[in-house]
Amino acid sequence: MSHSSKNHFPSEKVVQVMVDSILRKNGVKREELKSNISEEQKQMLKEMVEDLRKQVEAFQQSNRTDEDSDELRD
Amino acid sequence: MTIYRRMNTKDRNPNFFFNDDDHNEVDVAEDSRFRDNDFFSDDAISQEADQLSFMEQESAELIWVKESCNIRITSTDTQAAVSLQAALQVAIGLVLSISILDGDQREKISQELLQISDVEQTNRQKIFIYNTKDARVRTVDTDIAINIQLLFQILLTLVVLVDIL
Repeated sequence: MSHSSKNHFPSEKVVQVMVDSILRKNGVKREELKSNISEEQKQMLKEMVEDLRKQVEAFQQSNRTDEDSDELRD
Repeated sequence: MTIYRRMNTKDRNPNFFFNDDDHNEVDVAEDSRFRDNDFFSDDAISQEADQLSFMEQESAELIWVKESCNIRITSTDTQAAVSLQAALQVAIGLVLSISILDGDQREKISQELLQISDVEQTNRQKIFIYNTKDARVRTVDTDIAINIQLLFQILLTLVVLVDIL
């Protein structure tokens, strides 16, 4: 199931368009977003996102490996 | 053997992290909200209360094995998934609170963003195995996997917009 969910829902572009439209609707400009944030904060957030990326990947991986090993045995 | 696990994300939502500069000092006697017992007139605060409880999710799993032998059961650990989900929500809130200075504007945006992932869902599974030999059972919580994927994509999109990655 994790295979299908990864492929069909939700597509990256859809999320991008949604986030962008929400920001637009609320009158946030891209330049504004960038200027409010310091280099130090950028670095910290970058590390945080990388960390979360690893966790998400590990989670998806754990679902997948279970499935594959089951399939192999069948 | 009976395995029973139940979890509700509603209790785990840390819902205090958006609020850093919206609460100004108030004189209790002077403030009309306190006099009239009207605590919901402040838009920013009243919105915040339901902001994160949008994500309401419940997973319950019950597995019975009776008079059987050689049964193997694999079940996803929802606990880990739920805390990862909460971590992603916190991260989204964090990026917003750093990059958008206007408190009101930020409240609205974070509310709308988390509404995208407003998946109210209940996942109940009951499995009863009786008088069986050599069976294998595997349960998966797909709902939460999808939710995690979605939250992570929202976070990534935000972070790209803020020019971090």
